[in-house]
Amino acid sequence: MHRVLQQPFKTAVLLLVWGWLLLLVLTPNLLVVGASLMTRDAGSFLALPLNLDSYRRLLDPLYLEVFLHSLYMAGVTTVFCLLIGYPFAWALSRIGKQRQTLLIFLLIVPFWTNSLVRTYALKLLLATNGLINNALMGLGLIDEPLQLLYTEGAVIIGLVYLLLPFMILPLYSVFEDLRRELLMASHDLGAGKLATFMHVIVPLTLPGVLAGVMLVLLPAMGLFFVADILGGSRNLLVGNVIKNQFLDARDWPFGAAASILLTVAMAVLLFAHRLSRRRLGDEEPAT
Amino acid sequence: MRKLALAGLIAVSLTGCSGQEETEVLNLYNWSEYMPQEVLDRFEEETGIQVVYTTYDSNEAMYARLKLLEEGGEYDLAVPSTYYVNKMRKEGLLAEIDHSKLEGFDNLDPELVDQEFDEDNAYSVPYLWGTTGLAYDAADLDGENVTAWADLWNDKYQGKVMLTNDMREVFHIGLRVLGYSGNSTSPEEIEQAYEKLAELMPAVRTFNSDAPRMPYLEGETDIGMIWNGEAVMGKEDMPSLEYVYPEEGTIVWLDSFVIPKNANNADAAHQFISFVMQPEISALISEEIGYATPNLAARELLPEAVAGDRSSYPTAEDLTNAEFQKDVGDDAMQVYTRYWERLKSGR
Repeated sequence: MHRVLQQPFKTAVLLLVWGWLLLLVLTPNLLVVGASLMTRDAGSFLALPLNLDSYRRLLDPLYLEVFLHSLYMAGVTTVFCLLIGYPFAWALSRIGKQRQTLLIFLLIVPFWTNSLVRTYALKLLLATNGLINNALMGLGLIDEPLQLLYTEGAVIIGLVYLLLPFMILPLYSVFEDLRRELLMASHDLGAGKLATFMHVIVPLTLPGVLAGVMLVLLPAMGLFFVADILGGSRNLLVGNVIKNQFLDARDWPFGAAASILLTVAMAVLLFAHRLSRRRLGDEEPAT
Repeated sequence: MRKLALAGLIAVSLTGCSGQEETEVLNLYNWSEYMPQEVLDRFEEETGIQVVYTTYDSNEAMYARLKLLEEGGEYDLAVPSTYYVNKMRKEGLLAEIDHSKLEGFDNLDPELVDQEFDEDNAYSVPYLWGTTGLAYDAADLDGENVTAWADLWNDKYQGKVMLTNDMREVFHIGLRVLGYSGNSTSPEEIEQAYEKLAELMPAVRTFNSDAPRMPYLEGETDIGMIWNGEAVMGKEDMPSLEYVYPEEGTIVWLDSFVIPKNANNADAAHQFISFVMQPEISALISEEIGYATPNLAARELLPEAVAGDRSSYPTAEDLTNAEFQKDVGDDAMQVYTRYWERLKSGR
């Protein structure tokens, strides 16, 4: 596409990118892998010999249960994000360019505030004396305040709130690329609205859905502070277990092994994503 | 291209810039809500040393941080509980206190200095002591039934119980309810305490060690654990918050100033300790945040309402069965940690 690019410029950019990836992605990850294979040490955090004990501990039913429960919470979060994000992105791609820019801007504005601060703000809304309960009681809809805070529901609300933009943006980009001609062709060939949706729109937007799912599902399992603040400091997410290993229990090998587990889960999802793109014949030629 | 622009927008984050100034700095690492702002302001005013104040909510978090930043000299002063003073001293994480630089050490209660955890106070200077007891909201429940830790297990309080986010304290009550010492090192006893506490978990609404009074004030919880100073502070905002010394015995603890080994500004740290040991300042702290000062000269300055407040200054009767938190050693700590993890993962 950009054959006009000067060779030295290209080399410099490639060097920068590769350097960046090696230094800030590969090295830290290798360190984590290394740490996960070492032994816990009270004095210096990590010690030899190398072994797989930390991974063996991950198979403990307790942690398996935490992982599965965490996956469940992240799954529910993802479903809600998808249910809200899909129509949202669709609508977004259908409105005028100017309003589109404005809406995307509004979608991104919350990122300018630290997510920790926004989570505390949610706490104020959900608290027993919070805005939601006060409003419902004021309207006479309930007599007793609802227990919203420190529940799994509160954690899911927090996760959906924080991660929704990560679902909308990739979906928006596939909807943008969705060519009207295809929809018209489908219509001309006699497909009804539902059939067009099921057989044309859904398959064509599937890569966006998968990208969104990846951007929501795994981070949701790691956002420990949401579970800490809105869930009452229990180990609801894998992220809580990892954080506890590093900050409280000082069992770095185990913490590292648990985060590797998340990385592997991510890799599996990425692989599935690639597979689906290939099946859809959407594989971009290698550059 | 649009995708790139979006990514760029997302990547934008506010970065705070602070000017590099030449002022002397004291990095103080303390429990949250454990030092009135006024004390820091007055110290800055008197000495010109700027206090950079950072907080933690558990001994474990403080220790992990200091250990990790051991070489960096990131902090000049921290405030661990006795059992962590002992542990950190033994591991060589602490610098010796230079008593020749301190003023007012003689004001401290002889019963709280030169203790087993740090003989001759070579590494630590007592800051505040306090108790962990029962709190309940008298507006929401009948206090007559709240006299013992075991009352937390009452079905009536389902979903209304709060525990501190403190491993040793939570296990302390589990152990005491079963009649064991809160400083138990026996894996069997700790396991039994875990089983007992696991029964309580469904009733537990939240763990909180940032500001344990807040869930009561916010109406989220009605009964549970609290630190006495938090109970005193909480009562000012919510008069129905009551503090009870449980029958099985309250948990007594003492937090002390320590100087990490590689502190950048040990001189300022000594200056700060001396500053706090002035009777007037110690009295101000005890009055503001409700914990008991080990400074006897300061206690004389306290108004009767504070010195006579049993929540802050328990009577001998209140301390029946009370146990002082002790270092249980690394092996037992590992056992505690394992069950603590289990407890918090349970549902």
